[in-house]
Amino acid sequence: MISKARKVADYKQLTKELPTLRYVDPERVYINLQSDRCQTYTLDVKENDRVQLGQIIGERDGGFFKQPIYATVSGTVEGTTKKTHPSGIEVECVIIRNDYKDEYHSTITDRPENVIENMTKAEMVDVIRQTATVGLGGSGFPSYIKLDTDKKIHTVVINAVECEPYLSSDYRLIKDSPEEIFRGLKYIMQAVDAKKGVIAVKKTKTELIEVLERELTRFENLNIEIAKLADYYPQGWENETFKNALGIKIPPGTLPMEYGVLGFNVSTTSAIYEALKHNLPITKRHLTVNGDAINFPQNIRVRVGTCVKDLIKLSDGYSEDAKDIDFVIGGPMMGTSLDTDDVIVTPTTTSVLVFKSQDFHEEPCVRCGSCVYSCPVEIQPVNIMNAIKRNDKKALENLEVNKCIECGLCAYVCTSKIHLTDYMRKGKKLLG
Amino acid sequence: MEFVKKSAPHLRRPNANVVRMMRDVAIALMPLTIFAIWQHGLNALWILLVSVVSMVATEYIYYQIIDRLNGETFKLNNKSFTVYNFSVVVSGLIYGLTLPDEIPLVVVAIGGAIGVFLAKLIFGGMGQNIFNIAAFARVFVVLAFGGVLVYSNHIDADLGATALGVLNQDMLDGSVRDGYSYWAMFSGIGLPGSLGETSALLILVGGLYLFMRKSFDVYVPLTYIGTVFVLSLAVMFTQDVGFWYPMTHLLSGGLIFGAIFMATDPITIPTNRPSRIYFAFGLGVITFVIRLFGNLPEGVVFAILIMNMFVPALDYHKWAKSKFTVKSVSIFSVIVIITVILTAVGVHYAG
Repeated sequence: MISKARKVADYKQLTKELPTLRYVDPERVYINLQSDRCQTYTLDVKENDRVQLGQIIGERDGGFFKQPIYATVSGTVEGTTKKTHPSGIEVECVIIRNDYKDEYHSTITDRPENVIENMTKAEMVDVIRQTATVGLGGSGFPSYIKLDTDKKIHTVVINAVECEPYLSSDYRLIKDSPEEIFRGLKYIMQAVDAKKGVIAVKKTKTELIEVLERELTRFENLNIEIAKLADYYPQGWENETFKNALGIKIPPGTLPMEYGVLGFNVSTTSAIYEALKHNLPITKRHLTVNGDAINFPQNIRVRVGTCVKDLIKLSDGYSEDAKDIDFVIGGPMMGTSLDTDDVIVTPTTTSVLVFKSQDFHEEPCVRCGSCVYSCPVEIQPVNIMNAIKRNDKKALENLEVNKCIECGLCAYVCTSKIHLTDYMRKGKKLLG
Repeated sequence: MEFVKKSAPHLRRPNANVVRMMRDVAIALMPLTIFAIWQHGLNALWILLVSVVSMVATEYIYYQIIDRLNGETFKLNNKSFTVYNFSVVVSGLIYGLTLPDEIPLVVVAIGGAIGVFLAKLIFGGMGQNIFNIAAFARVFVVLAFGGVLVYSNHIDADLGATALGVLNQDMLDGSVRDGYSYWAMFSGIGLPGSLGETSALLILVGGLYLFMRKSFDVYVPLTYIGTVFVLSLAVMFTQDVGFWYPMTHLLSGGLIFGAIFMATDPITIPTNRPSRIYFAFGLGVITFVIRLFGNLPEGVVFAILIMNMFVPALDYHKWAKSKFTVKSVSIFSVIVIITVILTAVGVHYAG
């Protein structure tokens, strides 16, 4: 226990080999008009308007960027309602009743390969911006801003590590459609003029490595490598991935672009492929429904805008012996817990996890130091906790609490089951 | 069914808890306990029982009173019940094992009760104490009763056995080992000394168990024992004495016991790895200096109490880092080299 402990039991065996269930035709979809990044919006359609798949129906405004809102099914607009966003806030949503015809809007057209090959960086960035492609690993950061960097990029890293326990949506995506990832990577490399591409994956996921290596033989003219990384948490944290896949250390507070590398999640890569190849915004995504309080853990290919309630029903509901449940959107280490399942699936929703609510018995801190040994950003959670308890801001500054990435490892490893990650959040708030 | 909102992370490490950690220490002490009873007979059993019971009872009664003052009704298993986490049992057992075998039981009981009260309870219980409880109780016994009781036994009762006593009188006297083979000193069979400190072999077995269960930080005992070894090697080379000299330092007295069971108590040591290594280095230096130049033949418990006071300084946020840096390694190496030179020079003039 008094040791560096970074292995997190991954529980992926529950779902990773299950075939992906398709649930792409909900009766209604709810498209969020606001999000945690965008407060204001404009809506261009009104009730009873007919919309087509991929049609722009409005625009979110996130301050430094604007993001078009797309209809993800064809059908009729039924007005707006309030729903919960995966980040936990209440947002305004537009309701579209599905007509099950999947009529594509006229802008959704395929680009032949030779057209894409001749596209300039500016054109590609424009397409990515128009299709509202964002980082699907969970950040939701607009991808076009990343692509539009003026720094010289030498390597593009595709992050397929998926180090959060319980999640297998990226795993299924790679198994189901590896070609999209390679093509997406090719396009990104073309856009930023990178000489090298790296797909980072955990070395324990041998099935994935097999699939990727087989696919790699079809893209041999590209300089693509598969980096097999050690199995620990948080290997999927961008800086950790770069460090282990490329040997480049990125100090906190600086951007990877300054070091000539660019990282994308696998789902984002596949979305970029869809955007450039078919001019298609993100309308579907892979999602994992898992946890010990759900009857049938599943991988589901789901339409963006689906209500999570439907997915729970599809997974045969909550298990009967669960008294109180901890309903999490995202991974168990960093995901947000919600008090309702009336949540919409957004492009960045990787998973829905339902746990039996457990009260961990907290003991006094025995100063064992596991949190200090395990911390990926090398800060001292236990000393930060003590500084917070005596409200010592000077100490918090010296202890660099702002470096914390809230990966949750300190609370996970704690011998006394103290919720250290919460203290880290408090510490950041105290410093302001 | 209800939705309970919680903050991430939603998982906790299985098999990691305080009870397990403390219980592991108790299990690691078991071979020593059995050896002590085998070697010293019923005496040892009574001493160990009294030391454990005195500490546990003091803590139990203390928390009963505290709960009573806080308006709780009396329950056998009261609200602040703490015995379940083994921490006080472990302290009692370690304290008992450092005692000589003919110490009066009443002294054991008084030492245990005062030790746990002054070193632990008034600081706020588990996790709050500054001083190692067992070391504190042990030192209390030495200082309060040492002159009258402990030294009057026919076996030299102070932590170390005869060997260290002789070394303390004349630090380079080669006769200390007379009559004891290395095997006797290593296994502890037939060796005079405290109940649990004579058998280096069984202490190392306990240490190995703790290491495999990851229930202590192995860098602390390694650095501590290593420091004493290196310093005695320096003396060996400059004074031209045999290899028996460092071996005697290693195998006699409470060094290995203290290094493995007392210096690793996580509550009273720093939290960062570099700080822990500085801490253990300090322990080694103080132990060695007390052994050579001090009035007492044994320095382990005093070294532990002295270094306990430096823990906040070693962990201070202005300079304590969780990883070694080039700067800290170079400063530390310079300090180590200076210490070795100073020790050699000091022995030259004092000896």
